[in-house]
Amino acid sequence: MAALPRRIIKETQRLMQEPVPGISAVPDDTNARYFHVIVTGPEDSPFEGGLFKLELFLPEDYPMSAPKVRFITKIYHPNIDRLGRICLDILKDKWSPALQIRTVLLSIQALLSAPNPDDPLANDVAELWKVNESEAIRNAKEWTRRYAMDN
Amino acid sequence: MSDAMVDERVTDEIEALKAILLDNELNIKENDRGEPECIETILFPSTGEDSQSQYVCVTLIVRLPSGYPDISPVINLRNPRGLDEDTVKLMQSDAEAKCKDFIGQPVMFELIELIREHLTRSNLPTDQCAVCLYGFREGDEFTKTECYHYFHSHCLAAHVAAAERYYREEQEKLPQWQQDTTNKFQAICPVCRESINCDVESLWSAPPPIDVEAATDFSVTAELRELQKQMAALYLRQQQRGGIIDLEAEGVKMLVRTEDDPAATTEEVSPPGTSLTAYSNTTSVQSVTQVHSKQSTHQTQNNHNSQYQPRQMQHNHGHNNHNHGHRHRGRGRAHYRRHFDRVRQAESTPR
Repeated sequence: MAALPRRIIKETQRLMQEPVPGISAVPDDTNARYFHVIVTGPEDSPFEGGLFKLELFLPEDYPMSAPKVRFITKIYHPNIDRLGRICLDILKDKWSPALQIRTVLLSIQALLSAPNPDDPLANDVAELWKVNESEAIRNAKEWTRRYAMDN
Repeated sequence: MSDAMVDERVTDEIEALKAILLDNELNIKENDRGEPECIETILFPSTGEDSQSQYVCVTLIVRLPSGYPDISPVINLRNPRGLDEDTVKLMQSDAEAKCKDFIGQPVMFELIELIREHLTRSNLPTDQCAVCLYGFREGDEFTKTECYHYFHSHCLAAHVAAAERYYREEQEKLPQWQQDTTNKFQAICPVCRESINCDVESLWSAPPPIDVEAATDFSVTAELRELQKQMAALYLRQQQRGGIIDLEAEGVKMLVRTEDDPAATTEEVSPPGTSLTAYSNTTSVQSVTQVHSKQSTHQTQNNHNSQYQPRQMQHNHGHNNHNHGHRHRGRGRAHYRRHFDRVRQAESTPR
């Protein structure tokens, strides 16, 4: 394995030693900058009970630039598009090197609890979320049941 | 409820506080009956007149219940700076014990004195640098921002230089009429986003943090392998039920590979669904060489800096700091953007 910045090593160790409830992130065998992630759907959200797979990659100049994160499991959410890309300010212009893998993943989990259809990435989902929230939530639950539950 | 008259012991205490603390250090909130209900004061270590060597501070908030001082007040410690969690917890429990001891008597001065003693004892940043996640050691150069956050000078330099580069890149992307006419980059604190002033050139001359240099390598443990296995199994189960986003079906094959990407030509064994791995194959080599060359220059420049040397923030002498030696990074960034541009193109095709 090529030499990794110490900060990445430290974060990886802490993720193992003090895991965040509802979140697991494991580095890939062949590439320590690539993390396999599972985020559990938050309680009292339409995503409750779901296990969502994400991929997270730490770019060359991390932590000076934000990790690249994408949902791999299908999810029905106004701020996540068909490709699993996430609309979240801290992954773009509001990135700060004081944020970490764990804080990024917690923010993503929080986004599942608080969808924001006024700042959409998935336009059709956001549209439905605004005009008929209960139907949108039904869809989100159905997608969670169909794609993200593990039984 | 007690009578509307404010207890004389409390009025005396507040008069004395006003006499001793500076106006900008003391904030007393009253309820609509004019009774004091909350006293707020920012506290620093006792360093005499030398405010330059105060490295920690905390805001003490004391809520006075009606019936105080015969009932204990409620203590809150807010905005601790340069202090780790354990120190703050200890201060909190000591302060609560002090309140119990002083039931029936005014306790504000005792509290202020107690917190100051704690601050004076731990008047060196005990928490970790938020950029590298390592602590401050004897011999490290560090910087205290105006907002009382601490960073290794080296780490802060890397942050400010990267933020400025990002700012310039974003400006260039905008059409002329949308560009910031002042074209003035403002550095912000990585922790609280307050504006900060600093001289990147002089920060860069600091050596990398000692703990970072000494840290041990990471290896994949059995526990980790077990987790990897579980994740791979979950992936397969979700894939079987059609729950995995299929990038190819979405018409974005190019998310992974571009013609000018040298890694694209070699067949890498990649884990399932790894559309992001291609970035690393091209960039990791660059980062290694870069880190080595940077470290060696800093070491030679800074062998004389063996003292524990806090570096006070300096005002910026203009904004023409050149980011020399960062062309590699710049190229890396442009490269990612190329990937994402391709995704965007694919995305804009009608569904």
